[in-house]
Amino acid sequence: MDERVTARKMGRLIEATEHLQTQALDGVIAASNGLNNFLESNAVYVFSGVRPIGESAVVLDRDGRSTLIVTPAWDETRATAISSTDRTIGTDDLAATLKSVAGTHRLDLSRTISVGLSLLGAALVERITSALGALPKAADELARDLARLRTPDELAAAERATWIAERGYERLLEYARPGLREFELAAELHCFTKKLGAEDNFLLMSASQHNLAVRAAGERVLDVGDIILSEITPCYRGQFAQICRTTVIGEPRPVIREKFTILQDAMIEGLAAGRAGATVADVTRAINGVIAKAGYGDYCRPPYMRVRGHGLGITSDRPGDIVDTNARVLENGMVFVMHPNQYIPESGYLMCGEPVVVTDTGSRALSVRPAELDVIAV
Amino acid sequence: MQTVQPCVTIGSYIWAQDCLPYDEFTLRLEELRAAMDRNGWPAVLVYGDVREHAALAFLTSFIPRVRWGMALLPRTGDARLLCAMSTRDLPAMRTLTWIADVRSGMGPEWEKAFDPWLERFTDNQAQKLGTIGFDVMAPVLQAAVRRSLGERFVLQRADDVVAIPARRKRPRELTMIRASCKLLETAAKTFVESWRGSHAPETAALDAERVARSLAAQDVRTLVSLDGGRTLVPYQGRFEKCEGLLVGYLAVKVLGYWADMFVTVDDGSATAAARHAEAALDAIIVNMRPGTRIDALHAKAVGALAPYKLHPVLGGSIGHGIGLSLHEGAEFQASSDATLVEDGVYALQAGAADAKAGNVLISAIVRVAATAAEVLVRSRPRTR
Repeated sequence: MDERVTARKMGRLIEATEHLQTQALDGVIAASNGLNNFLESNAVYVFSGVRPIGESAVVLDRDGRSTLIVTPAWDETRATAISSTDRTIGTDDLAATLKSVAGTHRLDLSRTISVGLSLLGAALVERITSALGALPKAADELARDLARLRTPDELAAAERATWIAERGYERLLEYARPGLREFELAAELHCFTKKLGAEDNFLLMSASQHNLAVRAAGERVLDVGDIILSEITPCYRGQFAQICRTTVIGEPRPVIREKFTILQDAMIEGLAAGRAGATVADVTRAINGVIAKAGYGDYCRPPYMRVRGHGLGITSDRPGDIVDTNARVLENGMVFVMHPNQYIPESGYLMCGEPVVVTDTGSRALSVRPAELDVIAV
Repeated sequence: MQTVQPCVTIGSYIWAQDCLPYDEFTLRLEELRAAMDRNGWPAVLVYGDVREHAALAFLTSFIPRVRWGMALLPRTGDARLLCAMSTRDLPAMRTLTWIADVRSGMGPEWEKAFDPWLERFTDNQAQKLGTIGFDVMAPVLQAAVRRSLGERFVLQRADDVVAIPARRKRPRELTMIRASCKLLETAAKTFVESWRGSHAPETAALDAERVARSLAAQDVRTLVSLDGGRTLVPYQGRFEKCEGLLVGYLAVKVLGYWADMFVTVDDGSATAAARHAEAALDAIIVNMRPGTRIDALHAKAVGALAPYKLHPVLGGSIGHGIGLSLHEGAEFQASSDATLVEDGVYALQAGAADAKAGNVLISAIVRVAATAAEVLVRSRPRTR
């Protein structure tokens, strides 16, 4: 494992250890259900650097000693090679092993906290409860709070993920053509980004002459006049990055071009508003303001849009959804996707979005080429 | 084999009404309705998530591509489906199921989505509702469901009362599984040919995935060995060429149904282990009949594999059911007293990891017929 990565991961363990000491706690049990949700923090990844296959847990005590438990048992070799924990155990019985490891770390459950247990399946939680005798108090925000600011290595990984997303979109422009089915295009994009190093990809890609929203690819055959919506979200070394793009097959109607500029203008306002110290609500209002000014204020709500962006897993999903009820203050180093994606009656749903990092002067897009209304010539 | 769950399943998802028309689901629901009658349940709640949704898919055709879905299936009247998608996604969700009434299970108001539907069952005393798949539901969601139901309903676990999906595959299911096996063979061929073309194991696996996805696979999972077959790892994007033999695992899903396969291409280092692994797989297949006990099959496999031991990645198992889930039912362990059923479909596996005899993993998917086993797909150790 790269030594810098080890240092960074150890950093998270050190921060968590300091938290335990400050709070006079014995330890923390951080669990993962094995689902690497792009909108969630994966506590096991945060503390170990291992993207788990199955249900797993990290046990950390106040002395800084740490153990990773992974399922299935046969994944132990891979996990040991990657993990920044002191010890790694492969098992097919997470509950029983957790009991044993909690004992080794001498955790008093009344002075132990947990992260992510509430995301495990109910039957497994019951077995863990039975094995431990009780469940530690939930502190589900701990991992996402500790990891809310990207480290230099994490930011580099997010930039690499963005680079992969942009190359993926270039591939879409090359590959999409009338007659191709949506799922064939999605297959190509998925495998192309994987070849570039993406370990996962939350890829939504769909087309219509008048879109209501973006969705996962289906059977539809692409046609001239289709507006292809793509949300390309590769994950590289635990960092998801997302770009949102709108592409037309054949020359678009003028109204499509006209309405797309509203989204671009909203993006510019959002980037300017997204400086350290501002709130998420400030960013949302800046974006919505542009769209309202263009006459679509009534459409700044579901089902015409969902959110104006969101945090990106799997280390931390801070600052959360970009909505006008989110009062969280932006901090230097936070990364999220900003997307003024919007349904407009004359054009249908259009997409424009970039992954951004928060700075003192505003949000900086990680992508090199901002979203344009692109055209596939026919 | 367990593999890394992707954050969203990319592929061709639709309720394929030509292959699985509505009448298929009315037939599938018969056994559940009988269980409702026996247990006094006016309705059953069936839960599935992006990872485990066999029961939900069996009864409704709905497969969550992210998060979860829950069907409310009444003894009489219309069904309802809740899915953890926003309202703008519902038109697309409605193309995945025969249930017309599809509602959003997201947002602060979603718990109320139960209320109008459940109103018809309310009585002076609490009604019983059956549940399927609640074992994999997160406690936080279970709590939300219970809050929504309040004192009006008592939940009773139905998973042990009625086997869903049915262990005996229906004719249309067998057709699906055969299609899945056929696509798997194509992908496996690509995997081997790519590797023989001097590509790294991960490159070969990605080539196989690309072929499967372009042929409408709904999901593709791969594992490869980077250490000569001793262990398997999920995709890491390293694309390192490896000396020696090729060992890997492929799984593909077609119209909801999985097929999977271990692949070994021997470079001459695993000839002895390969011979015994083949004998073990043969020993299982030749003894498969309706009613055969799993522990007996296990003993025959282990006997044929001797003096070598089962490959550690198999976790002591020689197989499992396969269909709408990669692992249907319990693993075929030495201590299992379960029995095979006619028209059951099983993924069988054999292999060894031995410092001298070599490392090998092979497998087969088999349907148990009345008097013999029908091999739907089988991998054999190949030579480079």
